[in-house]
Amino acid sequence: MPLLQVEDLQVTYSPRDSAAVRAVDHVSFTVGEGEFVGLLGESGCGKSTLGHAVLRLLEKPAAITGGRITFDGRDVTRLDEDELRPMRWADLSTVFQSSMNSLNPVITVREQFADAIAAHPEATGGKVDVDERAGELLEMVSLDRGVLRRYPHELSGGMKQRVALALALVLRPRFVLLDEPTTGLDVVVQRDILDRLRELQRRLGFAVLFISHDLGTVMEMADRVMVMYAGEIVESRPAADMVVRQLHPYSAGLLGSYADPRDADVEVAYTPGRPPDLSRRHDGCLFQPRCPVAVDACRTRHPSLVPVERGEARCLLLEGPAEQAAHGGRQGAEAAPGTASAPVPPPVRNVAVFSTTADSRGREGGEPVMTVEGVGKTYRTKRGLGFTSTRAVRNVSFTLRPGRVSALVGESGSGKSTIARLLTGVERPSRGSVRFKGTRVDRLRRSALRRYRRHVQLVFQDPFSALNPTRTLAYALGRPLRNHLGMDGRQARARAAELLETVGLSPAEQYLDKLPSQLSGGQRQRVVIARALAPEPEVLIADEPISMLDVSIRAEILELLDTLVRDRGIAMLYITHDLLSARLLADEVMVLNQGSMVEHGPTLEVIGDAKDPYTRRLLAAIPRPGTSRVPAMAGSPAEAATGGTGGAEQRPPGI
Amino acid sequence: MTTAHGNATAAAPAPGADTESVGIAALDAGKSRRMPGWFVILWRNGKCRVGLLMLAAFTLVAVFAPLIAPYDPRLEDFATSEAPSGAHWLGTTAQGEDVFSQLVHGARTSLLVGVVAGVLSTLIAVAVGLTAGYLQGVVDEVLSFFINLGLVVPVLPLMITLAAYAPVKGLWLIIAVITVTGWAHGARIKRAQIITLRTRDYVTAAKFAGDSTARIIAYEIVPNMMSLIVVGFMGSALGAIGAEAGLAFLGLGDPQTVSWGTMLNQASLGGAMTTGQWAWVVAPGLVLALLVTSFTLVNFGVDALSNPHLRED
Repeated sequence: MPLLQVEDLQVTYSPRDSAAVRAVDHVSFTVGEGEFVGLLGESGCGKSTLGHAVLRLLEKPAAITGGRITFDGRDVTRLDEDELRPMRWADLSTVFQSSMNSLNPVITVREQFADAIAAHPEATGGKVDVDERAGELLEMVSLDRGVLRRYPHELSGGMKQRVALALALVLRPRFVLLDEPTTGLDVVVQRDILDRLRELQRRLGFAVLFISHDLGTVMEMADRVMVMYAGEIVESRPAADMVVRQLHPYSAGLLGSYADPRDADVEVAYTPGRPPDLSRRHDGCLFQPRCPVAVDACRTRHPSLVPVERGEARCLLLEGPAEQAAHGGRQGAEAAPGTASAPVPPPVRNVAVFSTTADSRGREGGEPVMTVEGVGKTYRTKRGLGFTSTRAVRNVSFTLRPGRVSALVGESGSGKSTIARLLTGVERPSRGSVRFKGTRVDRLRRSALRRYRRHVQLVFQDPFSALNPTRTLAYALGRPLRNHLGMDGRQARARAAELLETVGLSPAEQYLDKLPSQLSGGQRQRVVIARALAPEPEVLIADEPISMLDVSIRAEILELLDTLVRDRGIAMLYITHDLLSARLLADEVMVLNQGSMVEHGPTLEVIGDAKDPYTRRLLAAIPRPGTSRVPAMAGSPAEAATGGTGGAEQRPPGI
Repeated sequence: MTTAHGNATAAAPAPGADTESVGIAALDAGKSRRMPGWFVILWRNGKCRVGLLMLAAFTLVAVFAPLIAPYDPRLEDFATSEAPSGAHWLGTTAQGEDVFSQLVHGARTSLLVGVVAGVLSTLIAVAVGLTAGYLQGVVDEVLSFFINLGLVVPVLPLMITLAAYAPVKGLWLIIAVITVTGWAHGARIKRAQIITLRTRDYVTAAKFAGDSTARIIAYEIVPNMMSLIVVGFMGSALGAIGAEAGLAFLGLGDPQTVSWGTMLNQASLGGAMTTGQWAWVVAPGLVLALLVTSFTLVNFGVDALSNPHLRED
């Protein structure tokens, strides 16, 4: 009998103000003892809701409206709170999405362990040496035993995450739910924690349900991967099989987001469009509007989950053998002859592709618009009676040229954001100079600074905080137009509409009077980009513009930035710690380590021949599901052909 | 590749394919509703609905006081210290005035003081709090000093002193005294809130869009702390009503105006308890308590406005 069995589970959100939403729809799966199962999907597909349902943590307006969850033979859906309490943490534990904030700030780490142990005398069988047990667990997650005496605020984000992980394991649970446990951490730290997690899971033998939107990571870690789309499981197969070939077009689209940045030609694919509205009834396949291989039947017939090979998938093309003949493409060509048995899977092509072979880049020797020379920045902070000074940036020099993208790469705290603040005039360098054309940016004052900002605009990291929730898009886009370009209300509105069209939000009339809350994350980021473009700037500073977005739509935004920068001849500083995106977008890469520039040169040179240890660690942190696939892809002529058409002919993503 | 995608979108008019139109439909539905969204949320909350109804009742009584009250509240033509009767529902005062008429007219004073002093102290609190929090630095130091001063100075003695020694008398003096002594707490809360809001990316974005500081505060920040300002106003109004009653009870109110506080003061001086005139004492105290309760109940609904989680109950 499996450890966890979910049968026909339905979760419905019934808010008072809007129609009920079927967030989880007839989902059935099992997790065996000691099994590592990945649950994948983009934001809003119901994966976290499913996780919360399993732990019985759903809060109003969400509720389980059907089905059963059986854990170790007990029906969890029918237990009351008193019966659940002894099970929680002892049998089923979890590491939450924001588990960095889940530690109690007013007690030490040791007391948090002691609390968990004291709350479950039945699980520990009475006497447990807290220091011994907690210390042992901390060592397992590569932390020093001394951490026990610390308070949460004395630990870094990564350390807190490790403590949260150790805490989840303190009662030796048989099942741990991990809901995007490393979101918000530096990629290198993420990598480290995940590697350690996998190792621990093998050693201690607990079962894991790992929720993530990052297919690459899940595929590398999990035994079995379930892909969720619009509240349904669309594919559930052993990870090893799925890496080789994805049966559902959506899974294929997700996996397309990965590539090795060291290849000569890099391309990533994405799936344009948005998930369907689950408050309405849908007759056909839920993925059909975004599906590149949809046939007529997909609009009217809802596919069921059919057993394929060693797993299951939900696609009409897998049910009836008649249709697939019409489609041929990449996955089909790649499929190893041995695996192409059983019901023939649909050959899937990615919907849209963004590759590095972009033309019309600005000239390498063009006149620089922005020149940074020997810039340093020292912060003085009051500490006790004296001051301590921190050198955030040391002797950094570079130039930005029209139509070219420079990527600034470095870990958290390396001084990337400080450089952005220096360029925009928000802060002044302690030494060195920042020049925009002839102007010394570091000497501008008030009104001159305001005029200067017309030429230098920002694209923010978090699309959810970059737009004022109380202001319409027309207002947000209208302000820079009215202030910097002196337009009146009508002109500004017309131009705002043009800008929305430019960033792929069309018809613009539908969007002008919307509030940010009515848009998805990707759409918001498009608006943020449109606003940055509004005053026709010459320099664009993008501070990790895709790191908060779903992996599946990152390429879409990158492509948009790329097109805009090239077409308009804007000089862009792209701040990131994601080398793959840097490779795709940037002409040159600068690596920053503790405020100093340690590498600087053309993108392929820096990434292909990384010398700095940090750059190497970044490279190692990029998930490469099915690494064996990569050389084949780069080499195959068929691949080059399909990639080429995709790059040249893709349409703006239909929304 | 393009054709594959083109077909997919061209063949998309299946129901549910276009999520945008659904969103727009929802927006239209919201617009066609006669009530604004915030009112619907307030009304839906049971406690808040009771509070709103009570507040509406008090407002109606205050507005139509001359019509509702059977006599002029200052008319001293009746027998003194009468017990409740058909002619005088709540009896008469020691000076021979009708208690019920005074009670009805007293609602005007309490609501007027509550609203005006509430608005004024909220305005001061918003202005001081926002300026201090947004500008920071020296301005913040100076303003924070005054906020702290306002918090530390014992309010009741200050109010009594101001009210007792002021060269002018009258209701407006009472309002001014309450405003001057009551803004500091709100200013402190608003300063704290703006410090968290001013670092939001959209504020930085507004700076890059060329907006002036005043405009950023008024258009980007204030709308996002509206619920806090409303809660602050309710709190100030509540405090003002209580303070007015307290000052009047202590005999520091305006003797020319009829208010629940002066009624209590006169009931105390007139020996209402010794003559067994319970209605004269209990009635003003009770309506005061009810008015304060209605404000508190409305605040539950305002909480739901600022915190969507509370809306689902």
